[in-house]
Amino acid sequence: MVHTSMEGSLFEPTLYIIKGMCILDSDGNRILAKYYDKDVLPTAKEQKAFEKNLFNKTHRANAEIIMLDGLTCVYKSNVDLFFYVMGSSHENELILQSVLNALYETVSMLLRRNVEKRVLLDNLDAVMLAFDEICDGGVILDSDPTSIVSRAALRTEDVPLGEQTVAQILNLMNM
Amino acid sequence: MSSFKRDKKEEEDSGGNPYQNLDKTIVLQESRYFNQTPVNPRKCCLILTKVLYLLNQGEKFTTQEATEAFFATTKLFQSKDVMLRRMVYLCIKELSNLAQDVIIVTSSLTKDMTGKEDLYRAAAIRALCSITDSTMLQAIERYMKQAIVDKNPAVSSAALVSALHLSSTAPDLVRRWANEAQEAITSDNAMVSYHALGVVAGSRRNDKLSTVKLVTRLAKTNIKSPYALCLLIRLAAQLVEDDDSEASQPYIEFIECCLRHKSEMVIYEAAHALVNLRKTARDLAPAVSVLQLFCGSSKASLRLAGARTLARLTAKHPTAVAACAVDLENLISDSNRSVATLAVTTLLATGAESSVDR
Repeated sequence: MVHTSMEGSLFEPTLYIIKGMCILDSDGNRILAKYYDKDVLPTAKEQKAFEKNLFNKTHRANAEIIMLDGLTCVYKSNVDLFFYVMGSSHENELILQSVLNALYETVSMLLRRNVEKRVLLDNLDAVMLAFDEICDGGVILDSDPTSIVSRAALRTEDVPLGEQTVAQILNLMNM
Repeated sequence: MSSFKRDKKEEEDSGGNPYQNLDKTIVLQESRYFNQTPVNPRKCCLILTKVLYLLNQGEKFTTQEATEAFFATTKLFQSKDVMLRRMVYLCIKELSNLAQDVIIVTSSLTKDMTGKEDLYRAAAIRALCSITDSTMLQAIERYMKQAIVDKNPAVSSAALVSALHLSSTAPDLVRRWANEAQEAITSDNAMVSYHALGVVAGSRRNDKLSTVKLVTRLAKTNIKSPYALCLLIRLAAQLVEDDDSEASQPYIEFIECCLRHKSEMVIYEAAHALVNLRKTARDLAPAVSVLQLFCGSSKASLRLAGARTLARLTAKHPTAVAACAVDLENLISDSNRSVATLAVTTLLATGAESSVDR
């Protein structure tokens, strides 16, 4: 029950806030997922079972947030992609929400606003780097999409010269 | 024509996912391609992505397989392609706890960490700290201290977060970096300030007196980072909980002050702390009215945050929550089920006869 445990109800002063982040496709299959706490969903089997359950409970209702199996999960979807950020159920929901916004907005910028599975798979390496730039071992590393993108979107050769920033071109010339 | 159709069908079957039916053995064989010079960054990036994808899907690598893949990856340090280098760091991190002799890349990573390319430095620090043990840590200590106070925020944050991870295995060593971390708390960058406070507070975890000094000092300075403020509120709240005499009054005042911050995250953090600390219903009024506002928000996570904290309060101050009965009643039919459930249980716990009819 929700209000039977009053003890330990203050938020813990820790930087280890994120328990997991994942992107699922429209069948609930994992595209990318990271879990940061050894005590929470330690095996791939448990993780995938949790993801299936999470997907079943969230893919129809776009209700932003759900409490499931002792975790608070915030989520957002677009076309055929579902983004989730998980934290402990004793965590500030708005901090989790800020990380979800960072994840979604970053991926959206990396995919040039075409947030869909096919485009994401074409840019999977950049999205992996984005995951790595947003959260390091459960600690929020950065939540500003522009600064995350500047460190994850490193491939310049495809971009026409006119669309590159001056910094990118200078960088290219120095290489 | 028919073969064209079949191709199209096959593509649809796999959802166009080029990574779907990857075979571990084939991918590991492909990684032998890393030995070729000159390096083709594009092709090598794709192979590394496949390796990372397999690991991410939970595919099991034996020690030998992981070690082979790891050593093949180290060959790619000869390329200067930024994207490829970053994928190499990622692979090093992911394989570091599966493969043997991973310390082989220490010198390459130290070189990148101290080099000129900012895009390498931050990520190299994080990769290096994931393969370093406490005995080797001393060798890079000087660089870590420098990196913590670096003017590039990504470098500084990378060093601070790595220090935090290392503090569980080498607490004494990391404690010696506290001066540098202390300096970084006042950084203009929101994340650097947050990470620095986390490292400093962590190093004082078992020292009540110095935690008191830290919180007292920072409560007076104007910390801008919302994340750092949330952490500071948590530290202050813990001090109040340990000692609720008159001495803790300044902490309460600091937390109450945060109720007027412009970031919702900080406002909620403060309200949550006050609800758990304050004794009388009258003291609670400002915090409760903030939570009441949250219950009427258009964002579901705000409604849930508000309702959940009010639900907690019912055990202590049913009367304070009873004042929010109307707001909670509005949430009973909320589109978010977690919010609706919380509202119902809270109302049942506080319910007076008058509200049953409605």
